[in-house]
Amino acid sequence: MIAAMTARLLLPLLLALLSLAGDALAQEPASTNRATDLKERPAMDARTLAPLPAEAPVKVLARQGGWTQVEAGAQRGWVRAFHLKFQSTVETSSGGGVGSGITSIFGFGSREAPKTSKVATLGIRGLTPEDFKNASPDPAALRKMQSYRADKASAERFAREAKLAPVRVAYVGSGS
Amino acid sequence: MRALLAALALGLAAPAHAQLDFGRILDLGKKAVEVGQKVQEATKEYTVEEEIALGEGITTGFLGAIRLHPDERLQRYVNRVGRWLASQTERADLPWTFGVIDTEIINAFAMPGGTVVVSHGLVKRLGSESELAGVLAHEIAHVLKKHQLSAIQSDAGWSAAATGAKAVAADQIARRGGGDVMGIKTQLANAGVDLVKDGLFLRPLDRSMEYEADRLGVVVAARGGYDPYGFVAVLTMLAQVKPEETGVSITFSTHPSPADRLAELEKVMPELEKYAGQPQVEGRFRQTVR
Repeated sequence: MIAAMTARLLLPLLLALLSLAGDALAQEPASTNRATDLKERPAMDARTLAPLPAEAPVKVLARQGGWTQVEAGAQRGWVRAFHLKFQSTVETSSGGGVGSGITSIFGFGSREAPKTSKVATLGIRGLTPEDFKNASPDPAALRKMQSYRADKASAERFAREAKLAPVRVAYVGSGS
Repeated sequence: MRALLAALALGLAAPAHAQLDFGRILDLGKKAVEVGQKVQEATKEYTVEEEIALGEGITTGFLGAIRLHPDERLQRYVNRVGRWLASQTERADLPWTFGVIDTEIINAFAMPGGTVVVSHGLVKRLGSESELAGVLAHEIAHVLKKHQLSAIQSDAGWSAAATGAKAVAADQIARRGGGDVMGIKTQLANAGVDLVKDGLFLRPLDRSMEYEADRLGVVVAARGGYDPYGFVAVLTMLAQVKPEETGVSITFSTHPSPADRLAELEKVMPELEKYAGQPQVEGRFRQTVR
């Protein structure tokens, strides 16, 4: 009983600590890409602590949805993620990793990358083109992966547990 | 041309092994031509079953190169999030399968037919379920739009392998005079493996496809009840990742940079602003992801 209560009290604290400690982004330098507001909370209707000019240097502390917590001078607050740029790293990196391949993801292409080249490749530590070329097909791994599938009903229960309610939303933007 | 470029790119990474094995692919391609125009035309379009079979072949080859992460709890968790999101789409009835691969690279992949794979290196850098939902929804969008199939079909070598496989099977069926769905499936699964060997995962999709998947993905996440800005947070994180942290040594990419993708997304996010208050779900994410 006492243990359970303690756990209930400690969990939020633990989570709060984790969210502070677990953030590898802490203290990353960035700057504003336009004039914006430093907000007290990560919300549009939050109080404005200070206006920030374009090109204002900030340090990134955390992220939450569309908001990024920053340190600007002596002040700490939240700015829209869209209003920041991270020039220090993007310039030198590129390539989404192996794969950019069939899908997607997350390339870190630099702006200087040759935009016309059709093929991108890379040497990735622990994963090279040869790994794919020499791989022998692993049907057992496929079956294992498929054994983890969730059915519609269990996924729905899982969503409800986190108070996720489905909403009707139309696709946005062109070409969709 | 593509072979030349691929060899060039490989040369940069590993000069000693700059040879691609096109043997099987070309062989299949040749057979495709032999069985005639009519069969070829008939096999251009993929039925859902064929798409799934090809995707399973690709996944089988892929998992031969990168193993699944051993954390079963994490695997099931990612499957529930992914299945919930997929249920909100026009292809809800595909056999959606999600997996975490045991690598510290930062990436995610979608295969035809509804298989989505995300790296542990990426998952552990995320901060909430809404961020994971953003990643999975982006990959789901690639499957919705059949971007991978388009990429395969727009590439002469890949297309020959995949179409050839179907044509060979169709030809066998015609000779035997019976419907042999298993035959087509087996051939397609084999072709999928060949595609992986032929560098399917080493070539990016068109930028326009990435932007489209970004736009669709945020909507799918919002439909699932998540804060669609979770994906914006992911791109923000990616924009800050230093290349040495990702394990990327030499890379060239035609992929849009996270900064470019953020700029594109900003154009449509105002339409989703009213869903920004939806849950981010941090608690169970942090309890599950290590």
